[in-house]
Amino acid sequence: MTPDSRIKLVSELLDLPLYDTDGLYCGVVDDVELEGKPGKDLKLKALLIGPGAYVGRMPSWAMVLVRLVAGERVTRVPMDQVSSIGPAIHLKCPGRNYGLHRSEDRARAWIPHTGAL
Amino acid sequence: MNPLELTLGIMTAVGGFVDISELVFAAKAGSQFGYALIWVFAFSTIGIIVFSEMSGRVAAVAKQPVFNLMRHRLGLKLGLITLAASIVSNLITCAAELGGVSLILNYLTGAPYMLMAIVMTAALIASIWVLPFKWIERVYGLLGLFMIIFAAALIAIHPPWDKIAGGFVPQIPHGLSTKELLVFAYFVVAIISAVMFPYEVYFYSSGGIEEEWGLKDLLTNRITSIVGMGLGSLLGIAILSSSAQLFGPANVSPEIPGTAALEAAIPFGKWGLIVALLGMFFAVAGAAVETCLANAYSIAQFFGWIWGRHKKPWEAPRFTLTWVALFLLALAIVLTGVDVMVLVEFAILFSILVLPLTYLPLLLLSGDRKYMGQYVNGSTAKTLGWLYFGVITLAAIAALPLYFLTSGGNG
Repeated sequence: MTPDSRIKLVSELLDLPLYDTDGLYCGVVDDVELEGKPGKDLKLKALLIGPGAYVGRMPSWAMVLVRLVAGERVTRVPMDQVSSIGPAIHLKCPGRNYGLHRSEDRARAWIPHTGAL
Repeated sequence: MNPLELTLGIMTAVGGFVDISELVFAAKAGSQFGYALIWVFAFSTIGIIVFSEMSGRVAAVAKQPVFNLMRHRLGLKLGLITLAASIVSNLITCAAELGGVSLILNYLTGAPYMLMAIVMTAALIASIWVLPFKWIERVYGLLGLFMIIFAAALIAIHPPWDKIAGGFVPQIPHGLSTKELLVFAYFVVAIISAVMFPYEVYFYSSGGIEEEWGLKDLLTNRITSIVGMGLGSLLGIAILSSSAQLFGPANVSPEIPGTAALEAAIPFGKWGLIVALLGMFFAVAGAAVETCLANAYSIAQFFGWIWGRHKKPWEAPRFTLTWVALFLLALAIVLTGVDVMVLVEFAILFSILVLPLTYLPLLLLSGDRKYMGQYVNGSTAKTLGWLYFGVITLAAIAALPLYFLTSGGNG
């Protein structure tokens, strides 16, 4: 399926994993940004990745727990950067272009790079 | 097929079946009700084989671990509730395993229990840090096979095989008072929970992804589930049967893991005891690793983090920090001085409550042709899957009332 196809948001896009052109795992589609007007077609504008995007999908008490464990960052990836949609979403570009690996990079600084076989 | 490929199933099963809760519950069940609970082990074993095979098949075909797909299928809210419940259940279980392995080390060395808990936490963290996934499963899976001494011990004490065979027939012992019947029902629920611990499925399916299973591995998955879980069940039944013969008639109630080790000491003497304690040590340590990694897998998969121990620890940094933090939290629980057996009871109780939430999405996913194509559940898997889902739902509903009515199985 391409980004221009008709998409069932809940069953064919939300909560699916995202991979970049380097085959790196970039997270999960946590929400989407739509554009359109009354009487016009609704179009997908961007994917939102990161726990901060749960806000509209979750009660506020649950967000407290989520923030505690996973933070509240959101990264926006425009739909024109999506190459295909299937059991996983694939991007046309490296995830790094949109800062999708920033949280992993920050955590990496805390870890010694030695000792593992 | 390389026999070493079976180690994922063996580690999952040895760590899942013969973990600290199983050692205690199987021995207590045998001592209290003779051979009458063997059928519950056999029945639950078929259940865990069915669900392990499903989770491995989903990993091999959809190339997605269970928690990723669970969130997509259940939605964010119900997915988060499942995640929160399984984190609590797995953390308590991990603390129980850590306490258990420290206790065994205390038996082996005589060193203080709390000190052993700190040493073991450091050793387990170091082992996961240093060893790649394949070696983690080989080390804990294969060394846990010392537990086979329990099967050998059962043969050596010449048990009444006809009574053991009779134990495979579903039954409720005659002549029990209402109070004893409730305790029997509590044991039924506790054994189902202990055999079908949710962390086994999280660990097994994530292990399949760690090992990069594909369609060619579907047979390996099936054999691994059956052989691994079958072996774990055999060891559990051996512990129960030895206890029925040795402890029941002497009115000994095995309240601590060390009592189970005596089952090997009676026929084989000092060396039997040492081998049994070593087997218990590696099996319970494997269970601690399994519960901790299962928890870290679930969190990382839910939030979309890079995960896996086939990667170097710094290549999956948030996952690494998570499993290290979970081990430290489990250690903190042990260091509060809470009794290991209390932790075991809570682990069993929380797990049974999480079971339906774990197995329903798995059942739905493995039956969804969109994900699974031609490898969707067949009629046998579908029938057994829904049957066991019904059973674990009933067990989950009954668990809390039975726990309170029987004071945690103590009558």
